[in-house]
Amino acid sequence: MSREPAGYDEGDNARLVEAARQGDRAAFGQLYDDYARMVHGILLARVPLSEVDDLVHDVFLLALRQLHTLRDPTRFGGWLAAITRNRASDFHRRSIDEVELPDSLSAEQVAAGATSGTHSASDDEAIFLLAVVRELPETYREPLLLRLVEGMTGPEIAARTGLTPGSVRVNLHRGMNQLREKLASRPRSSGRSK
Amino acid sequence: MRDDYLWDASGEPDPEIQRLENALRSLRHNGPAPEFPVIAADKHQPRQVRWLHGWFARVAVAAACAAVAVIGGFLVLRPKLQVAPSEWTVTNVDGGTRLGSSTISIAGRAKNLGIGQLLETDSRSRASIRAEATGEIQVEPQTRLRVLSSKSGLNRFQLERGAINVRIWAEPGEFVVDTPSAVAVDLGCVYTLQVNDAGDGLLRTSMGWVGFKLGDRESFIPAGAACATRKKTGPGTPYFEDTAQSFRDFLTVLDVQGSNAKEYSAALQAVLEEARPQDALTLWHLLPRVPESDRERVYDRLAQFAPPPAGVTRQGILHLDRQMLDLWWNALDLGDISLWRHWERSWPQNDVQN
Repeated sequence: MSREPAGYDEGDNARLVEAARQGDRAAFGQLYDDYARMVHGILLARVPLSEVDDLVHDVFLLALRQLHTLRDPTRFGGWLAAITRNRASDFHRRSIDEVELPDSLSAEQVAAGATSGTHSASDDEAIFLLAVVRELPETYREPLLLRLVEGMTGPEIAARTGLTPGSVRVNLHRGMNQLREKLASRPRSSGRSK
Repeated sequence: MRDDYLWDASGEPDPEIQRLENALRSLRHNGPAPEFPVIAADKHQPRQVRWLHGWFARVAVAAACAAVAVIGGFLVLRPKLQVAPSEWTVTNVDGGTRLGSSTISIAGRAKNLGIGQLLETDSRSRASIRAEATGEIQVEPQTRLRVLSSKSGLNRFQLERGAINVRIWAEPGEFVVDTPSAVAVDLGCVYTLQVNDAGDGLLRTSMGWVGFKLGDRESFIPAGAACATRKKTGPGTPYFEDTAQSFRDFLTVLDVQGSNAKEYSAALQAVLEEARPQDALTLWHLLPRVPESDRERVYDRLAQFAPPPAGVTRQGILHLDRQMLDLWWNALDLGDISLWRHWERSWPQNDVQN
């Protein structure tokens, strides 16, 4: 299986990084377009939903400032993924005194909280499913969210994050098995079933 | 076929996966790129000086309001480190993870990892260990691992055998792994460390760099490089993973004691001939390891790829002047060796068994 998915070119990627280093904002904008889903998905696995969009922006700002320290432009994806995970950890360390969601709540509690606002039934379903995925070990959460939420294929996840296709495939497979078990053990309300 | 659809959306669609995709699609990122500030390219300073300036600037920031880890590959801003020791939590990922005398058999279940407690995975199990202030470790099957100490400024683990994938965001030098043949010191990075039943190991760095040490023998492994370690000799000579197999085979001859003089000389000649400019990493490490009579050849080849910086003389290197070796290392732009020297002075004595 080819490591690089269709549409992904390591050489083009490296050229964009070099151009961005030279101050080319359009090049950095292209990198944003190429990697924002990856960053968003990684953050979805780790921080409250309400914080994700702001943190995506934070991550890219950090990356832009530190781009000159990236030694190998072809490793931009893995480097950016590491910054994202660190930023998520940073968020938790700074939020110790604040209420944290949803790791400390069950999926049902999160969904119940979500229905109190202006969310539709489909929003509730999405939030509920996100909370169930977040109950999985971190190793599985991230690739599953990149696949199921962000719509990235396994090869694309491997290429963008710098992980091996074999690793990603195993984690997707095992994560999906565990997710199926969790969902099978959950009662379905009429609001959530399809 | 169901796996194919999950993997790359090919083959027969899996209805359950499709349902999840449809339900979760509303959470997908869809925002346009925001306006980013202009960051001017620094075209006038040499890359190494620019990196060092950045490093010193960040240390000043760290003293004021945030802790900053300096690594060979990237910089991430962090809040000031807390005084409290790291609390390591073990989560069972697959199969059953043995923790001391008990077993965690439910996936996703977590427990605290106590000092001295042995964590063991079998052929079908995997685990994840995490401390918020320090980092996370993915524990592969057939692994035996324990925490030796977990206190402010130093987390020390012992890997008896097996494999771990490590991601550290603590300060450089604060995460250490003992193996039967060397001690691995994190300098801010992501890496994989394996140890076999004979006590020999292999370390591969994905990001940042790692110091590997046994007695006076030290190896520095930057991103994209690997280094073997052996019970009798300690850390081997690092190499970039995109080198040819023949290059690595000849390096093994140089690292492993027991080859005769003729074999050794032939292997060294082959390494020098096959070396590429980026293999300056390997050549620098060979300088103190080859016999004195061979050192000049290594010096000349390294100088071809990376001219010695100011303050480094031929005679000094041939006599293994430590300061000059360190200056030349820094000129390779693979990591600031002053980090290693600083933290080296503050480590407990290495009691790795031989």
